[in-house]
Amino acid sequence: MTSKSSSDLILSMKHINKAFPGVKALDDVSLEVRRGVVHGIVGENGAGKSTLMKILSGVYTKDSGTIEFDGQTVEATSPMESLRMGLSIIYQEFSLVNSMTVGENIFLGRFREAGGMKGTHQKAKALLDKIGSSIPTHRLVSELSTSEKQMVEIAKALSFQSKLIIMDEPSSSLTEEELAGLGVIINQLREQGISTIYISHKLDEIFEYCDYVTVMRDGHVIDTRPVAELNRKDMVGMMVGRTIENEYPERPHCVGTPLMQVKNLNTRKLHDISFTLNRGEILGLVGLVGAGRTEIVRAIYGADKVKQKEIRIDGKDVKIVSPQDGKKCGMAFVPEDRKQQGLVLPFSVESNISMASLSNLKNGVFLSKGKERKMAENKISELLIKTSSPQTAVVGLSGGNQQKCILGRWLETGPKILILDEPTRGIDVGAKYEIYLLMKKTVEAGSSIILISSELPEVLNMSNRVLTVADGRITGEFDPEKTSAQEIMNRAIG
Amino acid sequence: MNTKERVKTFLQENLVLMTIVILVVATALIEPKFLTVANLGNLMNQFGPLSFVALGMTITIIGGYIDLSVAGIVSLSAVFTISMVDVLGQTGALLAGLAAGALMGLLNALVVVSCGALTQAKALFMTYALSAVYSAAALLYTDGATQHMSHLTSPTTLFKGIGSGKAGFIPVSFLLFFVIMFVLHLFLTRTQTGREVQLTGANITATDMVGVPVKKRVALVYVLSGVLSAFGAIVLFSRITTASPLLGANYETNAILAVVVGGTSLAGGRGSVIRTMLGVMLVTLLSNCLNLLGISTYIQSVCKGIILIIAIWIDRRRTK
Repeated sequence: MTSKSSSDLILSMKHINKAFPGVKALDDVSLEVRRGVVHGIVGENGAGKSTLMKILSGVYTKDSGTIEFDGQTVEATSPMESLRMGLSIIYQEFSLVNSMTVGENIFLGRFREAGGMKGTHQKAKALLDKIGSSIPTHRLVSELSTSEKQMVEIAKALSFQSKLIIMDEPSSSLTEEELAGLGVIINQLREQGISTIYISHKLDEIFEYCDYVTVMRDGHVIDTRPVAELNRKDMVGMMVGRTIENEYPERPHCVGTPLMQVKNLNTRKLHDISFTLNRGEILGLVGLVGAGRTEIVRAIYGADKVKQKEIRIDGKDVKIVSPQDGKKCGMAFVPEDRKQQGLVLPFSVESNISMASLSNLKNGVFLSKGKERKMAENKISELLIKTSSPQTAVVGLSGGNQQKCILGRWLETGPKILILDEPTRGIDVGAKYEIYLLMKKTVEAGSSIILISSELPEVLNMSNRVLTVADGRITGEFDPEKTSAQEIMNRAIG
Repeated sequence: MNTKERVKTFLQENLVLMTIVILVVATALIEPKFLTVANLGNLMNQFGPLSFVALGMTITIIGGYIDLSVAGIVSLSAVFTISMVDVLGQTGALLAGLAAGALMGLLNALVVVSCGALTQAKALFMTYALSAVYSAAALLYTDGATQHMSHLTSPTTLFKGIGSGKAGFIPVSFLLFFVIMFVLHLFLTRTQTGREVQLTGANITATDMVGVPVKKRVALVYVLSGVLSAFGAIVLFSRITTASPLLGANYETNAILAVVVGGTSLAGGRGSVIRTMLGVMLVTLLSNCLNLLGISTYIQSVCKGIILIIAIWIDRRRTK
């Protein structure tokens, strides 16, 4: 970047270093953000984006380096102090109190300065108006949609007179429509002279919203450039340190004879779901969030109660009423919510990988530590899981590597049917590609995959066949090689 | 890791052991009677009933739950076992008592699981309610009267052996405790079921999703807790030769104290029965020391409370 007078800059971080035991998370990182711009930060998981932001907001302390915010040098700080300075962070997981109203959440802990309850709601309404939102301030946060919650978070940030708002993966749980709304808000913030740091995996959003972009990789800043100077391929190349020609591998073509028939699946939310899954097939389920895609696969796997269902695998009727039954029938389930339903976070990479195959590790009555270690090491090298050792707690791994642990866990069981619910959510481009390759390898080895994803291009590029789901019903069946995305989406909207 | 961090980790991991060493050295310096063989035997004897209840509590807490019903189980299984001696003979009564403990544990599990209590907090209230039920049942069963072993006509040598027998200067109850602890340790750390109990405790949803029968694992921890509590009750009444229907009062607090002081995490999934042994050791040592130093029991209760709070505080810091 060219040198400029410091008053142009809202934030200047210089030569920041941060090491965790065994990992150098940030190595001489410098970042400058101008006033009134939207500054994107991209990088693979583990690149150091989150660490950098956590240092900025006072969650972590830096080992060395200087931070200047709004012309003042910032030393040790705490999350509350940084808020008061005018720096807010909106995390992926919101920090709102569900049982309180919108207004109360915006001025949480500051009712007196806001002028009591009446003042709180008046001021909250003014803030929401400012970003063009009409959410009633008396509504409970628990009744809001994800995008509305995000609005409330932004209003809360504005209530602190924020000069810089950091959005960490703001779009990960938004629908297309809600995303457009976010774009409007970001532009309004820019017009009001407020800077935004926009962290995202989705390059489309970076190109659409950001003025500048900083690319990070392995704890280093690779480059900071105006977005207009870059194209998509350059950016991906900088992120992964190599050029990726394609975001998707070539579609596998190894569909065989029918493997599983689902008939008359009915639950409170699902109506007459019937379909067939073939050997070696990737079957995509497309639909809006809440349409019932997750419910379908959970019901098949035995994780949810059903009113009625008939499942035939290999021509035999099977009864599946619990995940145990599902697993016995050769199914594997990679759930949507990695942290709550997939991982045992405080446990090691090793025990997270072995947990579905403990019975194969027995030496007499006891578990063999040696066999377990070997199983984990095989999977770590096979799936290129980045971890300092098999003993490392899985909580410390990046999202992509955590997901690979779950995949490794299930591939170890040799599943006939692999169910993947949002397998690449919150995962960077490089790791995504590796997961696509794994999917390809899995079906080529004769297994079948049911794929759910909110990223339409992903489903359309990987699947052999696509079912659209709307309002708990299957509304269509398409060959993604012959049908346009528009047509499929129309059917999915219902 | 630099030296400072290493020392810090070592201190955090071995805090209980260090405290025990300091306590022993300090008391031995002040009170020479402390390190006599007689007092050591006495100390091991004091391990007694609480240690068994604490073992059960450890497994429940590692499994992600908690069992406040142990007080009720101790009371009811004690009076029940004594009343059975003249009916079934002493071995029969012993087995019947343990079976009663197992049954109450199973009932706990059924209530907790069928009410869909996935959190420790919910299980806490349910087992507290069940404790009241078991205690009341003990009162109903005995009409409120204390049961005396001396009133029995059948022989009670087995109970006397368990309660106050000695091999050399080592009490039989301590030997039994040690064997059971060792077996449980192997179970938790080396078997598939034990691992599944730990996984369930750390994240029951994720463990359920990989096809582990989590409900059975929850049932198992409560049954173990019930059996071990019943065994603790047997050791207790065998030693004092009477069982009042309120015998088990406060056992849940002391057991949780020993477990948490030992360093088993209340968050579930992490901990060990060996740590609990150290916890029990610390608790008994402390009261032994305070007794030798002539400090009143009221002050001792205050100390116990403070230690529990400190232990929970350290646990929170560790899990963070």
